[in-house]
Amino acid sequence: MAYKRKENKGESPKLDMTPMIDVVFQLLIFFVVTLKQEDILAKLSAARPAPNQDEKVKEQQQDLINVIVAPQGFLFNGRPMRLPELDRAIERLSGYSKTAMVIIKCTADSPHAFLVQVLDVCNKHGMTNLSIFSM
Amino acid sequence: MIDVVFQLIIFFVVTLKMTSDVNPDIILEDGKNGVTLTQDNLPPSTLEIELDRRGRISIHNATLNERLLATMIKNRINRHGNEFPVLIRADRRTQHEKVRKVMDICTAAGIWKLSFVAVQEHKAAKK
Repeated sequence: MAYKRKENKGESPKLDMTPMIDVVFQLLIFFVVTLKQEDILAKLSAARPAPNQDEKVKEQQQDLINVIVAPQGFLFNGRPMRLPELDRAIERLSGYSKTAMVIIKCTADSPHAFLVQVLDVCNKHGMTNLSIFSM
Repeated sequence: MIDVVFQLIIFFVVTLKMTSDVNPDIILEDGKNGVTLTQDNLPPSTLEIELDRRGRISIHNATLNERLLATMIKNRINRHGNEFPVLIRADRRTQHEKVRKVMDICTAAGIWKLSFVAVQEHKAAKK
């Protein structure tokens, strides 16, 4: 039996692109709208000595900087300060020694933001020897 | 044009993270001078502990209690030693005593070096 195949003579059938473009645009708009950029994060490292080591560490280190973080503000070596003053004080001391031990003591009710601010200032001036204590 | 549009779509599909695996309620403090967190300086063994403003501890937005966190850190020390980085992602309004609890759990397990996460550069729209 003669089986006659339908042959394509040269011209291919035209594909209608309009619906595809519509869908693709819908998808595109969806993704553009749902995409949100992430914040760039940074880490601020510090040491957290065990509570029973406190006294030993304090005796070993001679040149130490003492920052107390309280809900009202900061105490730098006993003097109350705001963040810009603390920034200048640490900048001055970082000129002498970058490895001087910085002891950051936080009171229980101080917000975490203050601790991060102190760590940030210490990082800014290259202080590397940071320890966090809790009061 | 269709080629370009498809390229764009594939790009967005690949880069889009549909489900966020961090606690969305945590607002971080600014810290412009810290070490930038990238995929390269974060090994897979990194432990990121989240702490919201009320002191709820979570990891990848799954809440944990203190005992579970201690067990988790111990297991991780068994696997990786105590050199893996620990990031504490604490809300800026959290009181220090809550942060202290997390730090004490870490020191009790033998991890002395802790890092706090801060925002270096704001990209996302502020709430």
